[in-house]
Amino acid sequence: FFLSSWLPQTLPFRGSHWQASLLALRASLPVRAQPKKKKKVDVKREQAQKDRMKKKIKKLEKAAPEMIPIEDFIAPLQYSDSNRVRSLPPLSFEENERRVLLMKKWCLFKQKQDKAEKKAIQNLVEAQQEALKELRLESEELYQAAIRRDEGLFPFERDGPDYTPPLPGYDPPEGKCVDITKVYTQ
Amino acid sequence: IELEKSHYSDHEIRKLEEEEQLRRRKESLYDDDDEAPGKTVIMAQDLEDKWEQKLQQFKAAPRITDADKNNNRTSLNRKLDSNLMLLVKQKIGNQELWLLPQVEWQPGETLRSTAERAMATFLGDHIQAKILGNAPYGIYKYKFPRAVRTEDNVGAKVFFFKAFLQSSDLSQAELKEDYLWVTKDELGDYLKSEYLKKVNRFLLD
Repeated sequence: FFLSSWLPQTLPFRGSHWQASLLALRASLPVRAQPKKKKKVDVKREQAQKDRMKKKIKKLEKAAPEMIPIEDFIAPLQYSDSNRVRSLPPLSFEENERRVLLMKKWCLFKQKQDKAEKKAIQNLVEAQQEALKELRLESEELYQAAIRRDEGLFPFERDGPDYTPPLPGYDPPEGKCVDITKVYTQ
Repeated sequence: IELEKSHYSDHEIRKLEEEEQLRRRKESLYDDDDEAPGKTVIMAQDLEDKWEQKLQQFKAAPRITDADKNNNRTSLNRKLDSNLMLLVKQKIGNQELWLLPQVEWQPGETLRSTAERAMATFLGDHIQAKILGNAPYGIYKYKFPRAVRTEDNVGAKVFFFKAFLQSSDLSQAELKEDYLWVTKDELGDYLKSEYLKKVNRFLLD
């Protein structure tokens, strides 16, 4: 019995027949242990995070867009101080009468002006219609060419009338214009 | 300035406060002499005076130009508050007449291109004028005197177009001697009555 006791400890034990050689032990055995579990949980966790973020984004997008404040309609508070109110004497009766009569005269004047303008435009249109009728009698082709829209006409720009003509050789004073308008994004 | 429906502005409040300060200083008999020499303060009243002075110094160009005074009808600088139209002296048949510039229509071009050609002949090639639309504004038709009439050509029709001059710089224009810039009222001095009647219909102002 002494012979059998020390024999297996000197040689490496070749138990399973799956082993091709003694050195290929660690590589061939499939390992189902701790490292692989980490990968799966990571993937799941990351996917859950992404879904949560997407839900949050959807909620934010569904909320109605903020209104852009119109700065012209909001009067700054500093202008409603009481020390800003003027103290004027009340209007006299004659002044009121004068204003009412002036308003009436102005209304009448404007009405006449408006009627005259409309009549002038009517005359213009009539004259143009006549001209087009005569043109049609002359030649159909020219008539069709005349009726076509003029694309280069609009946008039409013209310098407005000034009270005095421009001064020749006038050098306007220099200055810098800094634009401080607030820009809002929705 | 609008006084009834407005409040005081910043500039006015500053003016009022400074007047108050001045009054108080005078009443308290120059107690704050320590402050005054240290800084030179610009008062709102001083600013206003400075602005007034600047306004007095500025002189605008006169509305009635030299051409108005001389009644020189060939210059564009007259009657700055009303529209001016170009009149040219042209030979029609055997008569020399004052007319709005006209040119015979060549077959193969539209009416508008005829108008552009007329502008180019009378005012030079590089003219900046905007023709308003493709359609004519008015028409004048007349019959030729019997001597000139043939079977086809009994008379002629003149179509009118409107155009705005963009620049008043006509130095490059090759205008002949017989041209005038006239307002609507002065048209009657030069045009014949029938022609004038038809022309007046489509001219505003």
